[in-house]
Amino acid sequence: MTTVAPQLIRRLQRAGLLVALGLIVETVTLFWPHPTAFLVFLFLGGLLVAAGVLLYLFAIVSSPLPSATSGEPSPPASA
Amino acid sequence: MPLPIAGFAALVVATIALIALVVLRPSLVAARGGKILAFVALFFLPLLVTGLGTAAQMEHSKSTRFCLSCHVMEPYGRSLLVDDPAYLPARHYQNNRVPREAACFTCHTNYTLFGDYKAKLRGLRHVYVNYLGTIPKQIKLYEPYNNRECLHCHGGARAFEENEVHRPVRAELGKNATSCLECHDKVHNAHGLAGVKLWQEEKP
Repeated sequence: MTTVAPQLIRRLQRAGLLVALGLIVETVTLFWPHPTAFLVFLFLGGLLVAAGVLLYLFAIVSSPLPSATSGEPSPPASA
Repeated sequence: MPLPIAGFAALVVATIALIALVVLRPSLVAARGGKILAFVALFFLPLLVTGLGTAAQMEHSKSTRFCLSCHVMEPYGRSLLVDDPAYLPARHYQNNRVPREAACFTCHTNYTLFGDYKAKLRGLRHVYVNYLGTIPKQIKLYEPYNNRECLHCHGGARAFEENEVHRPVRAELGKNATSCLECHDKVHNAHGLAGVKLWQEEKP
């Protein structure tokens, strides 16, 4: 059985929180037809989503490879 | 055509549900299916939703309601309801010569969001001035009104092309050398509307 590194879990959770918050902000602004709503959509909602997506990408490229059974992350593969 | 708001909200709810699944059951990510789920929930769907949301916001910003939502634009909204056919915007608006729900955008197609990068920067400046700056007493267009916006609809129309007044200056109008507004000069006149009778639409 493979396990997930705690660091990866924490990063995925933070990424999920950022993306969810961003999507909520984006949705709320769609109910308000005002120039400010457009800016909030772009610069708050868009930024939160972008930060979440980037954190997710960082989490998957920086996490150590999961090891089988032991639960300990295996050392990075040498080139 | 952009997604309706209800569809957009449903997509957001579905995305958040998938994100919750990844966040609350992180062990799923260890398996291949879980990795795909995380990719869909934290990468693909958020970017898709943001793209659709941007398209919806762009559509919103074409609406007359959007343009008139700033206090400073209220007199321009009132000018659409002047009960005098000499007022060009009022005549177009009241006779459905422009779609009422997108009246401003129809005649000002290169304005702020929809213009080049300079126009977009001006749009940001408008928001800044609206909240933090000093709003000028009289708003002016940055550039003279372009005949292109009029000819977009009137160009080629028989009533326009065969009009005896238009014929001699038709080429100049096409080159924007003579402005349509030189003769049709009663436009918004937004700051001269005190006491002007406004049209009350009769509902059938």
